[in-house]
Amino acid sequence: MTAMQPAVGASTSSDMTINLGPQHPSTHGVLRLMVALDGEYVKSCRPVIGYLHRGLERMMAARPYRQSVPFTDRLDYCASLNSNLAISQAIERIGGMAVPERAQYLRVMLCEMNRIASHLIFFGTYAADIGATTAFLYAFRERERLLDLLEAYTGARLTYNWIRPGGVASDMPEGYAQAVCAFLDGFLKELDAYDTLLTKNPIFRVRTEGVGIISPEKAIAHGASGPVLRGSGVNIDLRRTEPYDAYPRMQFDVPVRTEGDCLARYLVRVEEMRQSARIIRQCLREMPEGEHWGKQPKVFRPAAGEAYSRTESPRGELSIYLVSDGTANPVRVRVRGPSFVHLSMLHELVRGVKVADMIAILGSLDTVLGEVDR
Amino acid sequence: MSGITSFIRGFISILQGMWITLQNLVGRRKITLLYPYQRPDISPRWRGIFYLPYNDEAGRINCVGCTLCAQACPTGVITMTKMGAGKHASVNAFTMDLGRCMFCNLCIEACPFDAIHMSTRFELASLDRGVSLLTIDKLARGGADAVERTKRTIEAALEQEAAAKAAAAAAKAQAAASAQPTEGSGA
Repeated sequence: MTAMQPAVGASTSSDMTINLGPQHPSTHGVLRLMVALDGEYVKSCRPVIGYLHRGLERMMAARPYRQSVPFTDRLDYCASLNSNLAISQAIERIGGMAVPERAQYLRVMLCEMNRIASHLIFFGTYAADIGATTAFLYAFRERERLLDLLEAYTGARLTYNWIRPGGVASDMPEGYAQAVCAFLDGFLKELDAYDTLLTKNPIFRVRTEGVGIISPEKAIAHGASGPVLRGSGVNIDLRRTEPYDAYPRMQFDVPVRTEGDCLARYLVRVEEMRQSARIIRQCLREMPEGEHWGKQPKVFRPAAGEAYSRTESPRGELSIYLVSDGTANPVRVRVRGPSFVHLSMLHELVRGVKVADMIAILGSLDTVLGEVDR
Repeated sequence: MSGITSFIRGFISILQGMWITLQNLVGRRKITLLYPYQRPDISPRWRGIFYLPYNDEAGRINCVGCTLCAQACPTGVITMTKMGAGKHASVNAFTMDLGRCMFCNLCIEACPFDAIHMSTRFELASLDRGVSLLTIDKLARGGADAVERTKRTIEAALEQEAAAKAAAAAAKAQAAASAQPTEGSGA
């Protein structure tokens, strides 16, 4: 069978082909890596994807526009509010809906909270990939408190479906701003301590420094985005370069590192959590009074045309393209996910490295298979 | 020389890490729960298992069988059959297949009669698939009794309406009958 052959590099009798996954704890989901090994060195690696394929794009195209939002929860399930935002923006653009100002702030706040939750998963699982279990448990403990907050707002812990075309499904519950601020106060202190556990640890540094270097040219050539791109020294953040919702009014720094290695990507994400906390605070402080949901047409039939929305999800650029033919259902929904793009770089990055480094590189790309397979 | 400095650096980093773990070990309350015995504090907005609230004043569940929720559902969870007509309508069958449900809240937002709610119950795990198929008896607050009472309320209201209609028709006929002779005599 040709599918069993590794794609890159001719194998010799001394090579060993090993399947890493689809049920392997360090592949972060149902990803299978077919690696040809020469001893401890990776000669070639081919990711096999599709184990989680559900045909989400087609499912969304077979339903009225507004019913497609819960399906985007299942794209990037670590940060589903960011996916909700992407499809909502696309639907708003195609239907010419306006979003009230308060809803824009609520959206930004929810997205940034979800970004922290998502980066905490990265922080924890990446530490576990490298072999540090303590940081993993601490990160998930913090995330638990954050999920409790999101649960108090949206009623769900993972698949929120709360950012909708035209606004946000509900306003904040009472006393929510104080609860979020109290969480952030504790969280930032904890984050510094957790960060110390890893960044000050020589083992972690040796495992990540200079490993899996992506040059800026290569990152751009592959279409990398988000922390992977910014870890390579390219200062592009869609919240800054193409701001949407309330982001133009937000003051925040975009962390950029020039090393391009695993440690740089890790540090960018940790710094992003701090910046997200800053953005959430600004949102809570500056949020105007008003409606959380704009006026909605009862029957939604946008005129024939197309719309494209670009958003900065925790993993990178998540874009959704919609084509309408004037009926109630879209003709085509296309999702441009960052994880898929980053996974396509893997085979180049891991050629010639050791197996353990391959795990470190894969972890630093922070792919979510729900969005790779769709 | 570099071996010794790296050893010292590593030792310091271990002490730093140990200090953080010690602080967490001693200084913090644990956040885990012994789940089946201790219950988590669930937000009142929690999107759990559905129920149809029973309206004590009206003596019926609020659902009028308009199927707006079924149309709003992206996965076709809801099926229902309507009973009654006009102002006095409800459902005598309302089934939700939670095996397909995404708990997305769209049905609840679609309902103009506040007839479907989500509770804070979340335990759906079962060895039997039938458990996730919720019939109206399981969904209605008050169970089969509430459904039976809704049925009686609707039937009584329909009878009353029919009786009122018949009485009105009879009165109209009588009025017409009594009006005719006077008209005739007048001519």
